[in-house]
Amino acid sequence: MAVSRRDGRAGQDVLRRVGEASVLILISLADGPKHGYALIQDIKQLADVELGPGTLYGALDRLERLGLIEPLPADDRRHPYRITAPGAAALRVHLDSLERVSAAGRLRLRLGGI
Amino acid sequence: MDDPRAARLVETVLRCYPARWQRRHGEEAADLATLLIRDGTPAVSVAWSYLAGAAREWLTPRPGRYLTAVACALLVAACSLGVSAGLLASAAPARAASTSQAPGRSQCRPGSPGAVPGVTPAISRPQVIIWDTGHGRSC
Repeated sequence: MAVSRRDGRAGQDVLRRVGEASVLILISLADGPKHGYALIQDIKQLADVELGPGTLYGALDRLERLGLIEPLPADDRRHPYRITAPGAAALRVHLDSLERVSAAGRLRLRLGGI
Repeated sequence: MDDPRAARLVETVLRCYPARWQRRHGEEAADLATLLIRDGTPAVSVAWSYLAGAAREWLTPRPGRYLTAVACALLVAACSLGVSAGLLASAAPARAASTSQAPGRSQCRPGSPGAVPGVTPAISRPQVIIWDTGHGRSC
């Protein structure tokens, strides 16, 4: 079941249920293609999250099935992945949604005087 | 854990993945494990992550795997039905043979010459079960 480009534009947050690992992978791939080891290193720096290799491959397969990323030709046994256009659109929608929730949370904390 | 043992552990765990996954990611996953272990990640932690990933991979329903599972379930159901039918068919002649010995068993009937005097056979007392607020009482 691939996510079409239209779904991303429609504003549906398809990343809501894919899990944190998948979102972090998409964020990491947003600035260019990477293979597994580079993804793990980048996510560790970016979010201070140590992604296990089993989790990584599960998330990569799921994102690929959804059409949000695609593998590039292998270089030296390693498959780099790159984000697709629907993947970028879905990530944008998800980040917008997180920003709205984050802003609402901050506002409520301020109103609550906490 | 020393390198050869760590590599063997990871190799063993990678074999737990479905064949399709091993063809696709197997070599790369082994390379990635080597790099992570070299960076200081404990081999056990890497192996555990792959083991959990393998379990998830097997448990995630896929269209092809779903059809295979349905086909297997149908095959098992058909086999068990066949076995049951075979058992019933083999039991039927034996039952027919036992009913043909009815004259011999007539000794057990009430009032028959073989009946014990003074003992009322259970068959002459019809059993009635009274269901009263959930308690079954037989008399």
